[in-house]
Amino acid sequence: MKIPFLIIGGGLSGLAAAIRFARFNPEVLILEKHHRIGGLNSYFFRNNQLFETGLHAITNYAAAKDRRAPLNRLLRQLKLSRDQFQFHQQIQSEIIFKGCASLSFSNDFAMIEEEIARKFPHCQDGFHRLVAFLHSFDPFTIAPFRSARQFLNRYIPDRLLVDMLLCPLMFYGSSIEEDMDLGQFAIMFRAIFLEGLFRPGGTVKDFLDVLLTHYRALGGSLRTGAEVSTILHTGGRIDGVVLATGETILCDCLLSTIGIEETLSLLGRPPLPQNSPRLGFVETIFQLQPALCPQLPEDRTIIFFNNSATFHYKKPDTAVDFTSGVICLPQNFAGLPPSTRQEIRSTHLASYDAWKELARDRHEYLAEKGKTADHSREVLSAITGDFSRAIVYHDTFTPLTIERYTAKKEGAIYGHPQKIKDGVLGCDNLFLAGTDQGFLGIIGSMLSGVSMVNQHMLARF
Amino acid sequence: MTREDIKTLILEIIQDIDDEADFDNLDPGKPLRDQLDLDSMDFLDIVMELRKRHQLQIPEADYPHLATLNSCVDYLEPLLKDA
Ligand SMILES: Cc1cc2nc3c(=O)[nH]c(=O)nc-3n(C[C@H](O)[C@H](O)[C@H](O)COP(=O)(O)OP(=O)(O)OC[C@H]3O[C@@H](n4cnc5c(N)ncnc54)[C@H](O)[C@@H]3O)c2cc1C
Repeated sequence: MKIPFLIIGGGLSGLAAAIRFARFNPEVLILEKHHRIGGLNSYFFRNNQLFETGLHAITNYAAAKDRRAPLNRLLRQLKLSRDQFQFHQQIQSEIIFKGCASLSFSNDFAMIEEEIARKFPHCQDGFHRLVAFLHSFDPFTIAPFRSARQFLNRYIPDRLLVDMLLCPLMFYGSSIEEDMDLGQFAIMFRAIFLEGLFRPGGTVKDFLDVLLTHYRALGGSLRTGAEVSTILHTGGRIDGVVLATGETILCDCLLSTIGIEETLSLLGRPPLPQNSPRLGFVETIFQLQPALCPQLPEDRTIIFFNNSATFHYKKPDTAVDFTSGVICLPQNFAGLPPSTRQEIRSTHLASYDAWKELARDRHEYLAEKGKTADHSREVLSAITGDFSRAIVYHDTFTPLTIERYTAKKEGAIYGHPQKIKDGVLGCDNLFLAGTDQGFLGIIGSMLSGVSMVNQHMLARF
Repeated sequence: MTREDIKTLILEIIQDIDDEADFDNLDPGKPLRDQLDLDSMDFLDIVMELRKRHQLQIPEADYPHLATLNSCVDYLEPLLKDA
């Protein structure tokens, strides 16, 4: 069997790449290791109920008429109509630095501008100049690493505001510690502050089903439970792949969405030098019984918080860093139908190594998971009000859980600290898309898949 | 294909990319990009549709010929004369 275009990974970047290609040529096959598509952004069932794994909010909200916005471009490129999804915008989100300040923001940029004018009047001019700069800046021109923090210091004369602006952008899209690349900062600033947050109606399964149905209707193929164990190559050209079952599949062109190091290892090549650690996270989902629920905030969708004197975005020395994190209240998107279920979710930075160590003893690992949920609940309760009595079910994913289900090395959601921005891996017919190409999040990873196909695949067939 | 057919073909492809595209005031001598708010990704779609429908391989160096409706027709007329 020889397939013109083969894709490793049925996450969002692989699905988007596959749909883009299938629009013009149905001879494309996705190989997905897991028995389900979606990758980091998927779902699982417990107690006969569906839980989403990787969706707090989708970034880059745009109105339908804004044709140039990344969201609308993406839909056009995939030939998906907005009517196939229902988009629900965030109500309002907040950045809370305990004892210092809070900033609210929504999909109307004026809100954060007013908040900054009121709470950081001495930074108002600088903030406007920063926004003006970002409007004229092209973050997609490939350039060496530039420190966003140093850049921000030139515009904003207050460390607290710099940290408060970086906090959500880092949690939703930085693979490196304590800083961001300027280009990535500009992408995330636009994605979160200038455009904003939303979610599709229904569950993430409905969202994935729309993509898969569309892909199948275009004639594309998918195999789940198909783990690639080797990439075959001779003299700088890829010949195909071998699956864990021993089956060989030949191809003309290969797109890997599984990460740079993961791909190099399938090629039998040494890993890249790495001078900063991968970042791990723990995520806890608390399912609540609405009848027992105290008054949780109804006007906050996402809360980014920091409780320590200085904000640190780095791999913790302990299993979990509870001093900062993200809280998601998934009911609080505008126009969602009333539900009998209520959830609250938390994310904190975590150490893969610490969890790996704990996992040597299954009991200790499970006990630590339980303690993590308890501790996280206490931290959240101080911000949202106590919801302990209303919890009917909870589950915690550690970096090990994420590694097990998505094969992402060290469970690092945002992948390798360094990114391969052009997607080129030194072979004429192999390219990288998704997380390690440098586009993070749901919209980012999908655009990554589309742009790699546009740049490298379409002209070949 | 006649020049008129080619014009219809191009507009049909654009309509397919953007079903709200408004051709009423389209000036065939002015850039499509500005009048219909098309970006480079949309132009790639036009090229790909021409390939899919008429097996035309348009090299990237020739993309500027697709700038206006008139220049599209001039460029495509010899290529589609037997279509
Ligand atoms: C808890 C959590 C919360 C998140 N919250 C948000 C959010 O609110 N908003 C947002 O925009 N983003 C969020 N994200 C991030 C978002 O989900 C990811 O950035 C995006 O889905 C990445 O897609 P990808 O295709 O690059 O990678 P992946 O999803 O990792 O896709 C790679 C796929 O390849 C498969 N694979 C790996 N190895 C092999 C192999 N050898 N053979 C075959 N298949 C293989 C994997 O199983 C996987 O399906 C969150 C993620 C998590 C985990």
